[in-house]
Amino acid sequence: MPITIRYMAALRDRMGKSEDVMELPSGITDSDALTAHLQDLDPAAHALAHPSIRLILNDAIAPRPSPIRSGDTLAFCPPFTGG
Amino acid sequence: MTGISITVSHEKIRAGALLDQLTGADPECGGVASFTGQVRLEPGLVALELEHYPAVTENALQAIAETATRQWSLHQAVIHHRVGRMEIGETLVFVAATAPHRREALDAVGYMIDLLKTEAPFWKQVHTKDGSHWVEARDTDREAANYWTDQMTSEDA
Repeated sequence: MPITIRYMAALRDRMGKSEDVMELPSGITDSDALTAHLQDLDPAAHALAHPSIRLILNDAIAPRPSPIRSGDTLAFCPPFTGG
Repeated sequence: MTGISITVSHEKIRAGALLDQLTGADPECGGVASFTGQVRLEPGLVALELEHYPAVTENALQAIAETATRQWSLHQAVIHHRVGRMEIGETLVFVAATAPHRREALDAVGYMIDLLKTEAPFWKQVHTKDGSHWVEARDTDREAANYWTDQMTSEDA
């Protein structure tokens, strides 16, 4: 079952796409490892590793790193700027 | 009686009407406090656009309102946030609280507006006549949210 990776707001512009759907490579079990993998695929993904980036995992705000598994939806979020 | 009202919508916010619903509605409340945030005129700004993460946003706002209700013994807590495109002068957020005393209502409103800026997944994009850019988070917003959480932590200690 693939993992869905979403790029929100400014990160969507940076990545040039709103999401990726991919099979989770073996050995990747948390969001930090996935972030490193995405950087291997696309240098633009270095923005995902910035300490200010927040995660939403399966419709809940989640800490970094968070465990991930096949079937998850993981969203990378720039700092929130509401209000 | 306590209640929480959370709304995230593309519809225009009628702050006056929302405040009217709270004013005089509860004889046990001596304080009704509110904050209305609106799109500010800035050089070159044509419109502001708010994006959010549906469901997660509402849950985050609900959690903020629940914390405020517990902390300041609120009777009512209201957060209405608009998303989508807004013109200068339009209301983008309305926050209100009712409580027996003014200090509780005022502090609760300060807490809710400061927390939602950094803890609910909204993103602002500025449209100008020359193009668009995303608003970057400000240290002052983070510091304002930390003020409240530090206060609560010290009270718990």
